[in-house]
Amino acid sequence: MEKQDSNGKFIVPIGPQHPALKEPGHFEFAVEGEIVTGAAVRLGYVHRGIEKGAEARNWTQNIYLLERVCGICSHIHATAYTLGVEKLANVVAPPRAQAIRTLVAELERIHSHLLWLGVAAHEGGFDTLFMFSWRDRETVMDLLEMITGNRVHYSTNILGGVKIDLDDEKITAIRKGLDFLEERTHHYLKVINTDETFLGRTRDVGTMSRQQAEELGAVGPTARASGVPRDLRVEAPYAGYHEFPVRLITATEGDLHARFVVRMNECLDCYRVIREILDRLPGGELATRVPRRIPEGETISRVEAPRGELVYFIKSTGGDKPDRIKVRTPSLCNWGTVTSVAVGHKLADMPMLLAGIDPCFSCNDRMVRVNRPDQSQTWSWENLRQYGIEYYR
Amino acid sequence: MNTAWILLSLLIFPGGLFLLGSGLVYEWVDRKLVARFQNRIGPRWFQPLADVVKLLAKEEIIPQEVHRGLFLLLPVLALAGALTAALYVPLIGFKPSFSFPGDLIVTLYLLSMMSLCMGLAGANTVDRFSLVGATRTLTQLFSYEAPFLLALLGPAIVTGSWQISQINAQAGNSLWFIITQPIGFVVALVGLMGKLELPPFDAPEAETEIVSGALTEYSGRGLALFRIGKDVELVIGLTLVAAFYLGGLANPIEFLLKTMGLLVVMAGLQSLFARLRIDQTVGLWWRVGALLALAQLLVLILLRG
Repeated sequence: MEKQDSNGKFIVPIGPQHPALKEPGHFEFAVEGEIVTGAAVRLGYVHRGIEKGAEARNWTQNIYLLERVCGICSHIHATAYTLGVEKLANVVAPPRAQAIRTLVAELERIHSHLLWLGVAAHEGGFDTLFMFSWRDRETVMDLLEMITGNRVHYSTNILGGVKIDLDDEKITAIRKGLDFLEERTHHYLKVINTDETFLGRTRDVGTMSRQQAEELGAVGPTARASGVPRDLRVEAPYAGYHEFPVRLITATEGDLHARFVVRMNECLDCYRVIREILDRLPGGELATRVPRRIPEGETISRVEAPRGELVYFIKSTGGDKPDRIKVRTPSLCNWGTVTSVAVGHKLADMPMLLAGIDPCFSCNDRMVRVNRPDQSQTWSWENLRQYGIEYYR
Repeated sequence: MNTAWILLSLLIFPGGLFLLGSGLVYEWVDRKLVARFQNRIGPRWFQPLADVVKLLAKEEIIPQEVHRGLFLLLPVLALAGALTAALYVPLIGFKPSFSFPGDLIVTLYLLSMMSLCMGLAGANTVDRFSLVGATRTLTQLFSYEAPFLLALLGPAIVTGSWQISQINAQAGNSLWFIITQPIGFVVALVGLMGKLELPPFDAPEAETEIVSGALTEYSGRGLALFRIGKDVELVIGLTLVAAFYLGGLANPIEFLLKTMGLLVVMAGLQSLFARLRIDQTVGLWWRVGALLALAQLLVLILLRG
């Protein structure tokens, strides 16, 4: 292990294997004493070739593959994909299906935000909050398991609708769980806003102005904490969000503390929306028929994942397999905000700053290859695999 | 005092083996309490012992580009310092094995050996996490040491003696110093937490930033010795604070009740706060801790004079 790099800077590497990161990513922080003077990011350790894999599977199989892009927000990936394919096939899922999709998406948002609260608290050395928030997160995990049969990969969506239904017993259980979670979320908000040591680690740390957030293309709660009113559920409602509108939650401070507050307030709004869905759950069918072959065409499908805007590009040539699926996950958009606000902060703030955007590494690791006109070529699966082996050798 | 007695007190009881054992027990109580406060189940009673046995059985890897002698010597030195310090404090409520006027200062210096050794151990390697950890360890040493010393000087000045056994005896005869010198007690207890690098003062070994701080490169025996050393320091530190501020330690039952009571408070404090950054730690100690301790010391001196 060499002491200094060629530029004579003292670099503290975080990752790819590091206790702060539960997924592999590599960050290099140049420090002077405790002050960070430079930050660099390197991703790609969990590239799994999912986009290429999607081209080899048929439209239905792809739901299950794409759900596995992310281990936390799996449902929203399947939702983005099915909404896109339904648009291509000119099919609209029945209202009850849309409502159930929205319900599961909001439950997933709660689980994701509570998970993040724990992780971020752990990065700041507040393990008690970590343990408590994860204990309470089990409530929403149990609810999701009860509704869908799975804790993480819910497999709720099918093309043209959903495959699970809600009955009175489940609805009562959800309401009971929500009451408990709401009370706990209020408690966490109080902790976040009043605990002196915690405020010392979050207030005025990693402050990002609204202009910066817009220039860097931040999305999701990270952007909303800087005052950017950007939430697809409000701007371009999809699935059940026409019927059950959500509130746009923003803060103006732009620091870590604001991100905590925004996410917790979003949880509170999730409880409200879910209750509304349960109150006015539309009746009717759960799914409509979708043809096996999707008509030729291409579409963009945008949804609001817990971490921000998720974009799917889907292209069909009229067969039973997609021609191209491109996934752009929200984590990728937010990396720029970390590296640009890191400079000038203490090394001790870095883990929290990294966690502050709620990064999901396996989500954003996919290959980008810029084709120049003179060397354009098509890569086969075998080529890609070989390239990957050579790259990491 | 004959030679056999000296050897016995050094190696078996109350120093040596017995102290190592009680260190592990106290570590378990601390871990279990923190776990329960955090709504976890926590380790079983033999976990600290199992950890130590496991570490001792493992290979000790000596990294490249370190000073071999120093690398092997520092853990031994740290543990030896802590074990020696134990001879001057009223462990288990018994009279200290050795005692002489001014042993308070010697004991405190021996206790600081641990942090110093850890700092040197970190600086000895070329690992970047260790280097940052070593800097933080030493920075923290400079921040808590003075207030901790001042806090322990309070009872010493009131009793007019710098001998731990005498202060202990005097504390038992008068009103508990925690009532007459509450600030000193708080500073001493929190100082002890800083000394042991317990949360929220665990910036020197913050795992989410610098993996394991100064001890990142240590494995096997060296790590085991450092850990035992810390456990021993926990017991000695609790004994000192209890003897000075909680009305002295006259018998084993008092010892057990008072030190365990302190440990419960400490475990509570550990689970209440988020980790302080190293600059916040230094700020807290010099802007608040040291000033409060100094003010109390001034009052004591003026009242006596």
